[in-house]
Amino acid sequence: MAVDDRDDAAGKEVPPPPSYRSLAAPVANPVDKFALLPAFLKVRGLVKEHIDSFNYFITRGIRNIVQANNRIEARNDPNIYLRYTNVHVGKPSVQVDYKIEEITPHFCRLTDRTYSAPIRVDIEYTVGKQHELQLKRNVLIGYMPIMLRSYTCILHGKDEAELARLGECPLDPGGYFIVKGTEKVILIQEQLSKNRIIIDTDSKGRVIASVTSSTHEIKSKTVITLDKEKIYLQLNQFTKPIPIIVVMKAMGMESDQEVVQMVGRDPRYGDLLFPSIQECASERIYTQQQALQYMDEKVTYPGAGNQKEGRSKSILRDVFIAHVPDYVGNKRLELSGQLISLLFEDLFKTMNSQAVEMMNRNSDKTRSSPSDFSQLIKHEAITSGLERAISTGNWDIKRFRMHRKGVSQVLSRLSYMASLGYMTRITPQFEKTRKTSGPRALQPSQWGMLCPCDTPEGEACGLTKNLALLTHVTTDQEEGPLMNLCKSLGVEDLTLLSGEEIHAPGSFLVMFNGLILGKHRQPQTFAKTMRKLRRSGQIGEFVSIFVNEKQHCIHIASDGGRVCRPLIIADMGISRVKEDHMKELRDGIRSFDDFLRDGLIEYLDVNEENNALIALYEHVDQDDVERSSITHIEIEPLSILGVVSGLIPYPHHNQSPPSFLFEVKVTFLYNVLQLFRADSLLYLLVYAQRPLLTTKTIELVGYDKLGAGQNATVAVMGYSGYDIEDAIVMNKSSLDRGFGRCIAMKKYTVMKENYGDGVSDRIAKPQRDKDSVLVKQNMRALDEDGIAAPGQIIRNHDVYVNKQTPSVIDRRGAGALLRDREYKDSPAIYKGVDGETTVVDRVMLCSDTNDKLSIKCIIRHTRRPEVGDKFSSRHGQKGVCGTIVQQEDFPFSERGICPDLIMNPHGFPRFDISFVIFKYLFYLFINFPNLVSRKMIELIGGKAGLSCGRFHYGSAFGEPSGNADKVEDISNTLIKHGFSYNGKDFLYSGILGHPLEAYIFMGPIYYQKLKHMVLDKMHARASGPRVLLTRQPTEGRSRDGGLRLGEMERDCLIAYGASMLIFERLLLSSDPYQVQVIFEVVCEFPFGRGWNCATADAVVLGSVCRKCGLLGYYNHKLKASYRSMCKNGENMAKMRLPYACKLLFQELQAMNVVPRLKLTEG
Amino acid sequence: MDRPAAGASYQRFPRVRIRDLKPDFAKFELRDTDASMANALRRVMIAEVPTVAIDLVEIEVNSSVLNDEFIAHRLGLIPLTSAAAMQMRFSRDCDACDGDGSCEYCSVEFNLSARATDSDQTLEVTSTDLRSADPKVCPVDQARAYQQALGGESYDPNTGDQRQVVLHLISLVANPFVVLSCLVHFIPLLLMLALGRGILIVKLRRGQELRLRAIARKGIGKDHAKWSPAATVTFMYEPDIRINEELMETLTLDEKRSWVESSPTKVFELDAITQQVTVCDAEAYTYDDEVIKKAEAMGKPGLVEITAKEDSFIFTVETTGAITAYELIMNAITVLRQKLDAVRLQDDDGDLGELGAHLGGP
Ligand SMILES: [Zn+2]
Repeated sequence: MAVDDRDDAAGKEVPPPPSYRSLAAPVANPVDKFALLPAFLKVRGLVKEHIDSFNYFITRGIRNIVQANNRIEARNDPNIYLRYTNVHVGKPSVQVDYKIEEITPHFCRLTDRTYSAPIRVDIEYTVGKQHELQLKRNVLIGYMPIMLRSYTCILHGKDEAELARLGECPLDPGGYFIVKGTEKVILIQEQLSKNRIIIDTDSKGRVIASVTSSTHEIKSKTVITLDKEKIYLQLNQFTKPIPIIVVMKAMGMESDQEVVQMVGRDPRYGDLLFPSIQECASERIYTQQQALQYMDEKVTYPGAGNQKEGRSKSILRDVFIAHVPDYVGNKRLELSGQLISLLFEDLFKTMNSQAVEMMNRNSDKTRSSPSDFSQLIKHEAITSGLERAISTGNWDIKRFRMHRKGVSQVLSRLSYMASLGYMTRITPQFEKTRKTSGPRALQPSQWGMLCPCDTPEGEACGLTKNLALLTHVTTDQEEGPLMNLCKSLGVEDLTLLSGEEIHAPGSFLVMFNGLILGKHRQPQTFAKTMRKLRRSGQIGEFVSIFVNEKQHCIHIASDGGRVCRPLIIADMGISRVKEDHMKELRDGIRSFDDFLRDGLIEYLDVNEENNALIALYEHVDQDDVERSSITHIEIEPLSILGVVSGLIPYPHHNQSPPSFLFEVKVTFLYNVLQLFRADSLLYLLVYAQRPLLTTKTIELVGYDKLGAGQNATVAVMGYSGYDIEDAIVMNKSSLDRGFGRCIAMKKYTVMKENYGDGVSDRIAKPQRDKDSVLVKQNMRALDEDGIAAPGQIIRNHDVYVNKQTPSVIDRRGAGALLRDREYKDSPAIYKGVDGETTVVDRVMLCSDTNDKLSIKCIIRHTRRPEVGDKFSSRHGQKGVCGTIVQQEDFPFSERGICPDLIMNPHGFPRFDISFVIFKYLFYLFINFPNLVSRKMIELIGGKAGLSCGRFHYGSAFGEPSGNADKVEDISNTLIKHGFSYNGKDFLYSGILGHPLEAYIFMGPIYYQKLKHMVLDKMHARASGPRVLLTRQPTEGRSRDGGLRLGEMERDCLIAYGASMLIFERLLLSSDPYQVQVIFEVVCEFPFGRGWNCATADAVVLGSVCRKCGLLGYYNHKLKASYRSMCKNGENMAKMRLPYACKLLFQELQAMNVVPRLKLTEG
Repeated sequence: MDRPAAGASYQRFPRVRIRDLKPDFAKFELRDTDASMANALRRVMIAEVPTVAIDLVEIEVNSSVLNDEFIAHRLGLIPLTSAAAMQMRFSRDCDACDGDGSCEYCSVEFNLSARATDSDQTLEVTSTDLRSADPKVCPVDQARAYQQALGGESYDPNTGDQRQVVLHLISLVANPFVVLSCLVHFIPLLLMLALGRGILIVKLRRGQELRLRAIARKGIGKDHAKWSPAATVTFMYEPDIRINEELMETLTLDEKRSWVESSPTKVFELDAITQQVTVCDAEAYTYDDEVIKKAEAMGKPGLVEITAKEDSFIFTVETTGAITAYELIMNAITVLRQKLDAVRLQDDDGDLGELGAHLGGP
């Protein structure tokens, strides 16, 4: 990008860069390229990265793994062996009673199963003493959880009607797994790329260069440190840093001259190396032999001697490249495919080694005819291993030294957007607790690849990122053919060149996936040829060719996990995509892939972007000089944002607090078939609407089909004083008519346990007396089968499943039926809110994998907004409902318009300093007419939309391209329909009938109800349960706990001097306890005799001995206070103290510390 | 609060002039009174004129896609003809029954039974499917259809000459804001009315069924918006616009035109021949001050002087169809009078009864 400081390719063929103003200037008659976006998403889908990578694993990755480990043989007889000849993953199915049944994802969700497919292998193995070769096909080695909408998923390639028949929402993007009935996403993992040298400074301020190298066998980290001008090598295998010259000598460069030559011709290098050379000389190491000896002494484990040489070589194989750790070009994103592949490789190897182990054990033991391997392959390990990892999210793979937690997460189904957001989320490589701001900052290289605004608030801010709309994450591509191609295009092998030749001017190093491939004498020509090949489709479209002029190298990358994005190719600033291409696209003759194939569009990764000058729009009216250096043109500016941030109208008009992601906690439709699912918690908006002011992204992702809120008419004014702190005032009549009404559905599961021997729980029908009147009133919701009937109103304490469990479980009844009295009631009782009407929505019965019957009752509650419920606009402004006011008290206009809610103007989005910075980043884009808050634009845009009957758009940076309506146009529409241009209205007070003194800004704003509802949080108690140990009130709403008067509240009361209130709150209302204290301080008993707790009949009240200050007790038999140590009842005093205090004394005494209460006569 | 000195009279004699009266629309002037009076009338029309609406729903079968509460809520919002509502009793005050609905004084029973039989078309269950036990109380669209069948052109709101309704709708479409602002749910309702198909309750697919019993009761808009007979009740101060003719003459034709056009609503007119600026529709003025600002910007402050007449109001009343606009106004006056009577009673014996709490005490 032009803003990238690394782009200093100021060669002679590059003219001076044009001024930024001209880049931002809009175009006279632009080609409408917007249609490319839907075309791209049609081809690739919204969660293409996940599905692509999983497909790659299922089709290629798994084969490579099996092929790499395809032979296992017995240790003592290599002729006994097993060889895998083929592997494939079948269709998702389940084995029921030796019968294989295909399963659908929906079935798995409902029955708590795993949506998985059998992995089958073809094997050849030896049998018997003669080692006869046998072949076996389709041997099951495990079940692989299948990603929805991948090749093997049954949903693949199905149209909407078929999907609906399978119980799947057509808008659901797929890309997740179903494990034990829960939907799990494997989040994209961010990693530093392998085989790249990263130069950084460590905690002590020393310059270090580190490289993580990985091959199929080993993974290692090598660090080179610059300490006190001397260069050292650090490796895990060495106990302490080794001087670099020693390493070089060990590798055969015995003369210092050779060393300096290898490093480079520049004499400065020699000076820099001098201290190191000197140190080496002081250690008296001159020859390779000496050097190796020196290093051997430093090796951690003896025997690693021959390895280290290989390591040292691998370090030098790579060449120093300046890198910034946060630079996206150095990042690789690990997707579900790669992660599962690692897991599978580990499990597969474990399975094989276990088979070998068993074979060895067998043959050691018996020495008789060896069993064949095919019987030793157990498929349970792979199945359960995969299932466990995905369902817990713990990737603990010792073989690859991988210990990661939270790799997979439950797919949030609160909203459609939340689910999509999960799919594009990238988990950071760093710990969230790191205080550094560096990795959190926005990196210029993120442009267009990662969304600049979509990041959570709080500790993960800036670390957890989201992919932008058009980003593609590459999968691995085969290296061999590409390497050969490079060689045939004139790349010379390094081994054939001397040190002097390597550093010859004008020739560039060619690096392939981070490894040195060789040297090329005409780098620009080479790069040009490679790019031409890519554009013509001869090599993969995701191969990147990056010429680094500064470091004199060409980087060619085909590895997986790079982020790249499509851009329109421009010749001298003139777009290759012409109007006729777009027409063909609109007519359906041309697809996105055709654009790629015809060389109109290509994918650039972050590195290659540095070689490009990308313009926002085509600059037909600029002169040739200005635009000649432009190589690419953006498809659409709004694509720099991600899916979730694309929903916000006019995001470029004022800052977006990251908290707008709160949107994901909205109650709404997320799935057109949600009513058929059994989610544990589901909030639905009753009358959901489409926003009047939409964005193109909303339409692209289909969000307009799943409404999330309502277009409320909002008046921006103060009203009633109940609107402080962003609270809103709501119109009661609007609520009556259904505004903000939502349905909360909750799932309650009851398991019918089996205890073996045919003994199991049973579900009894409700008991009735002679007149068939229910014996217990709380069974009124039950049907005759003992389970709540759908449609029944269910109240607090009602039974929804009348379950009975056997009272004696371990009875050996030998199958005899239990009698009625051998069952005891254990009904499932609904805990709801008193006074609320909840209804049983559905009851689902299914048997789980262990053949236990599970009964799922879904209970529905329709809620209208009440005071304290949380609402939010799309701009991250949350506000609770402060009060609800009658419509006649609300202000009205002479047209009869009466707002649905009133918002205080203090709650409008503010422009703060961070927005100014945000804005600066996008400064190139647009000449803003004025800094109008985007919520204001939404309001007047929506108002204009209502007036003229057309949905208005507010896409990001969309004004020049027509994807966002300009404020001027909106104002004109308003004026045309008799409104004031600024969206303000003349209102009358509903209470007094007088005109309000100010003009009120009023119009529709899209409001969403958030899941935080008062009903779920409201809590109070007078008295209630106490904790057994401390006798203090319990904590938390779920336990009907007390409200804590905490430290700070206590401080306030102390400061105020309300001592009696403190006394009451902290003692009387908490855990008062009467004790008997021995009065006098002088005590005849020495320390540490311990608290001799009384017999069971005595401990009702404690007593304190007056003499020794210890606690006594009240003896009910003697009806007197008694002290345990003095063994009499003299000098006792009664006093009250918190039970927790008494407990503390006793605990202290148990530790041989005696607390004494010194009492004085009061 | 200062009480007026004994014997001093603040009595005024308000005048009403009806400008336009359609079955569900009225526009009238209220003069010689103040904002408190006008606003009281408005508030009573919105919140305290009683109507009948479905209040209790017993669902027998519901296999539709919408759940029971959803349907019950939708049923409640259907306007029912409530001409007799003033004479009905509130269910809570009725001593003839225990509120179970089988009482002629306080409630009306409805039945709905719909089942989509084996056709591939979805069945739309609308308000026309509601069967009322009392012919006086039924969904407004049914009443209209009934009146049309009779061919009667009497002065009954519910005859609702179709053309007029459609015209009315066009005006609504031209300004849907009015409807949306307070009556989100009545848009489909009004559209359905225009098409004569009733108000959509739910759509049934083949095999689905809806069977229910509903009881309509009398109520007021204060309790729930479904009982509010008013779709829109609003008033405005009548503007008093005085153009400074002398100053106006100093303007050029272009200046005059741009000044006239600066008003978002069409208040002024420029006569093409005489080049005179005249007030063509004073009430179109929305007190937006645009013309005043424009005049100031043109360097002619005082070009026009606009004041609101403090004692005259122009009311616009639209009803949901439950009662006619005329009934709405008259009933509102009746309710208001009852309330004032209650205040007077309080002066006599200090016992306000139920209204006492309502009026918030002395
Ligand atoms: Zn009655």
